[in-house]
Amino acid sequence: MSDTIFPPRGLFNRATTGLKTDPIFFDVEAGRISFFAETLGEDDPVYHDRDDARAAGHPDVPAPPTFPCVVDLETSRIAKRMGRTPIYDLIGCDYTRLLHGEETYEYFGPIYAGDRVSFTTEVVGFEDKKGGALETARLRAEIRHARRGLLVAIERVLVHRLN
Amino acid sequence: MNDMDTDTDAGSDTCLALARPGDTLPEIHFGRISRATLTLYAGASGDHNLVHIDTDFAREAGLNDVFAQGMLSLGVLARVASSWGGADRIRRLSGRFMAITPVNADLTCSGEVAERLEIDGQPHVRVNLVAEIIAPDASRTRTIAGEAIIRTN
Repeated sequence: MSDTIFPPRGLFNRATTGLKTDPIFFDVEAGRISFFAETLGEDDPVYHDRDDARAAGHPDVPAPPTFPCVVDLETSRIAKRMGRTPIYDLIGCDYTRLLHGEETYEYFGPIYAGDRVSFTTEVVGFEDKKGGALETARLRAEIRHARRGLLVAIERVLVHRLN
Repeated sequence: MNDMDTDTDAGSDTCLALARPGDTLPEIHFGRISRATLTLYAGASGDHNLVHIDTDFAREAGLNDVFAQGMLSLGVLARVASSWGGADRIRRLSGRFMAITPVNADLTCSGEVAERLEIDGQPHVRVNLVAEIIAPDASRTRTIAGEAIIRTN
């Protein structure tokens, strides 16, 4: 018998389908928002100055639309420091083969500097694509605030190049 | 001046309420994505994946060089929607990554109103968003096909 496994099983740990991480908390800081906005070339003063943000009607500096990715990646790092296995390690990401496929944010309420938010991720599932040349992982995550509830729902597709 | 000027105080709100399919959003030309851009974005975003910031690591992984974080381009693309419609009016934002953005690529982001629609009794527009890299010969490669749903009232 041939010992070649076909079709290829991929690199993601597909046994993690359905797994949901425990919440990790993240304190949103004005300086981090400003730094993040700056790297995107965003010079709207509401992202850089509390007084300008308040003058525009915000209680504090608001997070720009793609800031949820910061909460995601930083809570992953916090998880590691807490001795937990970060979600990207759990699902078996190989960074030499990893690509970002899709990213979707649904907004239910704004994130502001000074907020303590929680982050959870759920592993939706895995798929083979292009005849096994690619495999995808679909994740769904939520950013919540203790009083204001769900702020952002995130859906992400990650891709492994398999050849 | 004339009477119209007093009305334009409402500025973008007026434009937004009247936005129609085919209207284009102001383009944001980000310019060259240097190694410094990638490094700073890595620090700011928390994406420390070495394929974006460490050329030695990228080469060992079989790549020619580092390439840009997809989320960097999506972040710039989101600015097209937020600077036009206001960040607090964006209900949904999505992007499909179509091609890798090599280091030193010249990034530009644009958008176009696709349709007006009603969600929960509120007027919205769906905007198609496109991130592209411009080659020295001016040809463009689409790197993200995106979409935003923006409330218009």
